[in-house]
Amino acid sequence: MAVTQPRTLDDLPHGGFGVDASGRGGGRVPQRKRPRRESMADWRWGDRIAYVLCWAAGIALCVIAALIMGYMAVRGVQYLKPSLLWSHPSGEVDQSDSGGFLDPIIGTILLTIIGIVIATPIAVAAAIWVVEYGRPSGLARMVESGIEVVAGTPDIVLAIFGLALFQHGLFGWMSFTAEGGAVFGRSFLTAGAMMSLIALPMVFGATREGLQSIPGHVREASYGLGKTKIATIRRVLLPAVRPNISTGAALGMGRIAGDTAIVVILLGATLRLEKEGGIPGVDVLKGTGSTLTSYVYNNSPAGEGNAPEKAYAAAFVLLLLVVALNFTVDLIARRGAKTGLEGTRLGAGR
Amino acid sequence: MTTRLRRLGVCAASVGVLAAVVPAAAQATPVITMSGSTSVAPLATLLAKAYVKSHPGKVKFKLAQGGSDVGVADVAAGRVTIGNSSRDPKSSDPGGIFFNKIARDAICLATNPKNPVADLSQATIQAIFAGDIRDWSQVPGATATGTIDLVGRTAASGTQDAFQKIFMGTKTVTSSIAAKASNGLVQQAIQSDPNAIGYVSLDFVGGTNAAGYNGVACNLRNAKSGEYGGVRNFWMVTRGRATGVVSAFISWVQNNAKAQAIVGKHWVPLK
Amino acid sequence: MLHRLRQPWSDRRAELTLGALACAVLLVIVLMVIFVANEAWPTFQHNGLRWLLSGGNVDEQIGTMVNAGAKPPAADYHLRAWPLVWGTILTTGMAVVFGLIFALLASVFIVEFAPERLRAVIVPVVRLLAAVPSVIYGLLGILVLVPFVGNHIISAHDKKSVEFIVQLSGASLLVAVVILTVMIVPIMIAICVDALYAVPRGWKEGAVALGVNRWRAMWTVSIRAARPAIIAAAVLACARALGEAIMLSMVSGSVGFAPNPFDGPRLFLLEPLRPLASTIVEDSESLQAPAVRSTVYAFALLLLFSSLFLSLAGYLAKQPMKKYGVRI
Repeated sequence: MAVTQPRTLDDLPHGGFGVDASGRGGGRVPQRKRPRRESMADWRWGDRIAYVLCWAAGIALCVIAALIMGYMAVRGVQYLKPSLLWSHPSGEVDQSDSGGFLDPIIGTILLTIIGIVIATPIAVAAAIWVVEYGRPSGLARMVESGIEVVAGTPDIVLAIFGLALFQHGLFGWMSFTAEGGAVFGRSFLTAGAMMSLIALPMVFGATREGLQSIPGHVREASYGLGKTKIATIRRVLLPAVRPNISTGAALGMGRIAGDTAIVVILLGATLRLEKEGGIPGVDVLKGTGSTLTSYVYNNSPAGEGNAPEKAYAAAFVLLLLVVALNFTVDLIARRGAKTGLEGTRLGAGR
Repeated sequence: MTTRLRRLGVCAASVGVLAAVVPAAAQATPVITMSGSTSVAPLATLLAKAYVKSHPGKVKFKLAQGGSDVGVADVAAGRVTIGNSSRDPKSSDPGGIFFNKIARDAICLATNPKNPVADLSQATIQAIFAGDIRDWSQVPGATATGTIDLVGRTAASGTQDAFQKIFMGTKTVTSSIAAKASNGLVQQAIQSDPNAIGYVSLDFVGGTNAAGYNGVACNLRNAKSGEYGGVRNFWMVTRGRATGVVSAFISWVQNNAKAQAIVGKHWVPLK
Repeated sequence: MLHRLRQPWSDRRAELTLGALACAVLLVIVLMVIFVANEAWPTFQHNGLRWLLSGGNVDEQIGTMVNAGAKPPAADYHLRAWPLVWGTILTTGMAVVFGLIFALLASVFIVEFAPERLRAVIVPVVRLLAAVPSVIYGLLGILVLVPFVGNHIISAHDKKSVEFIVQLSGASLLVAVVILTVMIVPIMIAICVDALYAVPRGWKEGAVALGVNRWRAMWTVSIRAARPAIIAAAVLACARALGEAIMLSMVSGSVGFAPNPFDGPRLFLLEPLRPLASTIVEDSESLQAPAVRSTVYAFALLLLFSSLFLSLAGYLAKQPMKKYGVRI
C-alpha cells in the first residue's frame, strides 16, 4: 500500500500508523489524553496581569459585539413592519406613521451596482497591468501607491472632490442642469462614480493577490503553446482569479452599501427617487434619491425626521444587507479555494 | 442572417427607439425645483402636492432644504427655480432676485413640558438668550432648577434671522447656545431636556410648552388676529420676476382659495 | 468595425490600453489634490497658515461666512479653526491609542489563549464588526449612549461649572472616543491576527522550548516580529478615524469648542466638540457661499494631507525594521 510521505510533523497520525497484524491499516493506538496545561504558578506578576487583560479584552470584544447585534436585532424586530419594506417614503413632517423606505432600499441597491460596475473593470485592468506588464516599474509603483492613497482617503474628502468635479459644465450630462446654467452635480451617476473609487482598492488588492499567487509555470506553459500574453491573460489567468475578483467585489459592495458621507453630499437628498430627463432608465441614473444610510441618518436625531423607530427599522435592514454581503464573501472565498486554481486542471498536477 | 447583420439590426433598432423617445422627452413636464427654509418646507410640500392634484400633468416639483440663506443663494445662482425663505430680504442678498410673499408664520418660545413657563416678556427673553440670566431661578414663572440650556438655530436659518430681528433687537445671542439645523431638531432638543428653552416655528410646538410673549399666548388664533407680536413672513424667491409655470404656481398660492385654506391650517394666510 | 475589434489584440495594444486605465486612476488622485487645493486657495490667501491657530469662536466665524452671501469682503474670510483641529487630534489620537492596546490584547487572546470553540466564534464576529456601517454605530450612540451620559453621568453641578462657556449635553468627547474605538478595533484586530499567525512557528516554539511562558513568548517574539503589521494597522485605523464624519457628527455635540484638559479629567471628557470631517458634512449645505466653500475645502485639504502624511510616516517607521529580517 502506498503511504504518502508526511510533510510536517502534524501529518503524522496521532497514535502511530496503526498497522495491525494483517498488514492493513486502520487500528489506531489509543490516543494519549490532552496534554496537561502548563500551570501559571511560576509566571511573573506582570505576565499574569497581561494574561488576565488578554482574556478581558477577548471577552469584552464578544460582549460588545453581542450587545450591538442584539440591541439592533431587538429594536429592528420591534419596529420593522413588513409594510415599511414596500411602501414609498412620504414627505410629511411627522414621519412617525407615514410611508416606508422602499425608495432608500432601491437607492442602496442601485448605487451599489453602479459603483461596483464602474470599479471592477478598472480595478481588474489596473491589477493586470501592474502584475503582468508594469513597465516602467516606477510608474507601476506609483499606481500602486496611488491606489493605496485612495484607500486611505476619507470618504468625505472624496465626496467633496466629487462635488467640485461634477459641478463643472463638462459633467452636466451626469446630472440635472438648472435653467441658470448651474450644474446640480448630484445624482446617482455622480455618487456612483465616487463610490467606485471606494470599492476600487478592494477589487484591485484582491485581484493583484490572486494574480501573484498563480505560479509562473502556468504562464510559461501557455507561452510555450504559442499564446500571446494578452491571450494568456484572457483565457488562462482571468478565469483562475475569478474567485478573487468576486471576493474583492463583494468586499467593495459591502463598503459601498455602508457609506454615508458620499450619499449625503452627492445624492441630492430627496426622499424619493426623483427622475431627471425623459429617457427611461437613464432618467433614474441622472436623478436624485436616497439610500438606507442617508435615510437612517436623516431620521435619527441628527437629521431631520423625528422618527427613531423608522431609523431603527432601516438600520436593521441595512445591517442584514451587510451581513448577507459578508456571508457571500465568506462563501465565495471558501468555494473559490476549492474551484480556483486547484479546481482547474492546471492545479491538479501539483 | 449572420451574427453581424443581426447585431447591426439590434443597434439600429435601439437607436431608433431612442430617437423616438428623446423628442417626446423634450416636451416633458417642466420641473420646479425648490430649496431653502426648513420652516417653509412643510408648507411648500403641502402646496406642491395640492397644486399637482388640481393641475395634473402641468408641472413636477422637487424640494430640498438647507436653510433660508441656502435657498436665496441657490436661486440667485440659478441652481433652483424657487428659493424658500423665512426671513425678510437682507442688504447682503445677491442682486437680481425677487421676493414673493406667500404666508406669515409665528415664532414661539418653547420650554420643556416639565417647565411650564406661561409667559415671557421681551426683556426676559433678551436677558436669557444674551446670557445675562443663566439660571432658571431668576426667571419668573419657571419651575425648573439649574442652568438654562439654550437651543437655537444655525447661521443659515431664516428663523434665526427672524428671531434676532423681532425678539432680540440689537442684543446679540450668546455664543454658548446650542445651534441646531432645523425646527425639528430644536423641538426634539427641548422635548428631551427639562432645562431647555428655544424658539421654533408655530408648526413645531408639539410636545413642548409654548410660552406666551408679552402677555399674548402663542397660538394660531392670536397670530392670525395680529395680537401676537412674534410673526414673520414666508417668501418664495425667484430669479427676477416669476414667469411661465413658476408665475402660475406662485399666483395660485397667493390667490387661490384652496391654497389659502392649506396655509390657514398651521400658518397665517395673507388675507 | 465590430469585427476588427473582436480580433485578438496585439500585446502592444493590450499593454497600452491596460496601462492607460491604470494611469487613469493615478490621474484621478492627482486631479483630486489639484481640485481641492484650488477650491481651498482663498482661505490660504486671506489667512495664510494662521487659520490653524485659535482666536475667537470658530462657529461665529463660519456663521459670518454663511451670512456673507455671494460676494464676501476679505474680512469675512477670517478663520481660526484650532478648536476643530484640536477636536480631530483628540478623537483620533485617543481612539487609536486605546484601540491599539485593546486590539493587541484581543489579538493575542485570539491567537494564543482562546479555547478552540471560542476562537471559531470570535474570528467571524470580528470580521462582521468591521463591516458594520458607521451610521449604525452613530445611531446606537445617539439613541443609547448620548442620553445615558446626559442623564446619568453629567450632573447639574457639571453643567453649572461650565455654564458660561459651553452647554453640556450627553454628546461629548467620551461618547465619541468610546464609539470610535469600537469602530476601529476590528480592523486592527484583523490585521494583527493575520500578522501573528504569519510569524513562523519555529520562532515561538524555540522560545517556549527555552522555558519562556506563553505570554512572554508572544510578547518578545511574535509581537516583536509583527511590528510592521501593527504599524500598518495603526496607520489604517488612524486614517479611518480621521475620516469618520457621519458617526462623529451624530455623537460629538456639533459645537466648535476645544475641550480643555485643564478643566479636570471629568469635565474634559464631558465637553462637546466637532472634528474637521464632521464640520465638512454639516457645512456642506451652505457650500454655495464662496467663503464657506473655500473653508470647507481647506479642511478637506488638511484631511487629505494628513492621510498622505500618515501613509508616509508608516512607511518610514517600517524601514528600520527591515534589517531584522522581519517581513515588511
